[in-house]
Amino acid sequence: MGCKAVKYELVSGFETHIELSTKTKIFCGCTTQFGGEPNTHCCPVCIGLPGTLPVLNREVVRFAIKAGLAVHGKIAEVAKMDRKNYCYPDLAKAYQISQLYAPLIIGGYIELSNGRKIRLHHIHIEEDAGKLIHQHGDTYVDYNRGGVPLIEIVSEPDIRSIDEAKEYVEKLQQVMRWVGISDCKMQEGSMRCDVNISVRPEGTEKFGTRTEIKNMNSITNIARAMEYEYERQVDLIESGGKVVQETLRFDDATGTTSSMRSKEDAHDYRYFRDPDLVTITIPREEVEELRSEMPELPADKFERYTDEYEIPEKDAALLTKYRSISEYFDKAIEGVKSPKTVSNFIIGQIFRRLETEADKEVFDVATTPEQLCELVKLLDSGKIRNNLAKSTLEKMLDSGKGATDFISESDMGGIDDSALLELCKNAVEGNPKAVEDYKNGKEKAIKALVGNVMKNSRGKADAKAAEEKIAQIIRNA
Amino acid sequence: MVTREDVENIALLSKLFVPEEELDGLTKSMQEIIDFADAIAAAPASDGGFDNINNLSNVFREDEVVPSYPSEEILKNAPEQAEDHFLVRNRE
Repeated sequence: MGCKAVKYELVSGFETHIELSTKTKIFCGCTTQFGGEPNTHCCPVCIGLPGTLPVLNREVVRFAIKAGLAVHGKIAEVAKMDRKNYCYPDLAKAYQISQLYAPLIIGGYIELSNGRKIRLHHIHIEEDAGKLIHQHGDTYVDYNRGGVPLIEIVSEPDIRSIDEAKEYVEKLQQVMRWVGISDCKMQEGSMRCDVNISVRPEGTEKFGTRTEIKNMNSITNIARAMEYEYERQVDLIESGGKVVQETLRFDDATGTTSSMRSKEDAHDYRYFRDPDLVTITIPREEVEELRSEMPELPADKFERYTDEYEIPEKDAALLTKYRSISEYFDKAIEGVKSPKTVSNFIIGQIFRRLETEADKEVFDVATTPEQLCELVKLLDSGKIRNNLAKSTLEKMLDSGKGATDFISESDMGGIDDSALLELCKNAVEGNPKAVEDYKNGKEKAIKALVGNVMKNSRGKADAKAAEEKIAQIIRNA
Repeated sequence: MVTREDVENIALLSKLFVPEEELDGLTKSMQEIIDFADAIAAAPASDGGFDNINNLSNVFREDEVVPSYPSEEILKNAPEQAEDHFLVRNRE
């Protein structure tokens, strides 16, 4: 960031649009399926023909409440729909039905790993706009997406770094997928962010003038755009200029931001209550019913894994990245002594077979959590050793068969002390070079001797016990 | 007070062309409309008033797909169309 006399702090807030995965649109029965031939998922309501009446999809309200519960927001008792007026071909009615004065969810927060809470101002529901394709100066309009339900999650300007911004988006994406209200695919546009950004001299209170970068569709680009915009604003201020409040577009190819049409301010949207849609009242019993249906949230699981099972934070983060993984883990640890072992098997051997993030999210694994549990119990009870467990798991993952299909009775039980001592003696006698190296201070040489013991015990020996015994033999020789 | 500038601004936002000679008349009309609305707003009302004339709340639809219209039907009212899309010409 160069050597600047004054250090500038980044201040950022996010407006995040998430498409809800209801079957139908927010105000009519047309499908919400992605894609489709142009203008085939439409009806008179969602193309805004005069005389039609929108009727709110009950599931949209329920999904929004779940979103609110997932971020610890307050569920409003009364909510209303408003019209946001603007003339642009992506909406045929010349207004978008949204919420301004009485949104469904108030407040809430996303907690980051550094302990900071990014507060949310509110979450509201609204309809998505149609898709515009600009070609040869003309605009082609497809209204299939018009009327698809969205929630908009509006954060307070609490974000103070690009890393925090990235984590905020990741956490939001994680928890909204987790509660099953959206697939949050940024590349398909089912999650998009508008990033508000300003800078101020470190240690000062007053916010600087902000700009807004519209429609960011990947976390990488959010980071690039914020980095560029931070530098641009700081350079502008340093050279005596002023930041102008405006709406910006990020150019992926050049990595720069540029000004979009001058933004009509909120006043100019002439918001008013939509007279076509009646008040929404949310009985507390319904909120409690939805609360009782909520899965354990990723943040709570993370805490349970790290506190109760002493799983390292890095591993716990991997286990709680997708609900499918954590549910597999929860089943696989039932009755086992060390959940950490289960975690190691999942993050090590099972993850190795799941190449992409999508694979990890689906978590389609031949071995059931119950089978993994059985294997770990054999290990727990000392009936088999770690390396046998590892090789057995490979076979299980290849075949979908259980542990006992590969481990015979004779494999179990490990080996007793006297047999281990015998094997260790043989290893020491048969490898004078390694023994010599070890005596000369090359501590790693002992690994070769342990390896020899493991090989000759067909993996049944306890490596740690073998190492201790070998060291003792050499010392006493 | 509604001013000529207000009318010009609203016309701009609504993408309407208003000839110069109509501005004064429209400003007067709009003032009258707003006065009328103010008169309604000033009328005494019971506590909390009412939300809509039928006093309804929670009118919902179940999340069940109904068939959409064929695109030919949807595009029937399009001033212009091309390749199953509504076509908006750039007038500049």
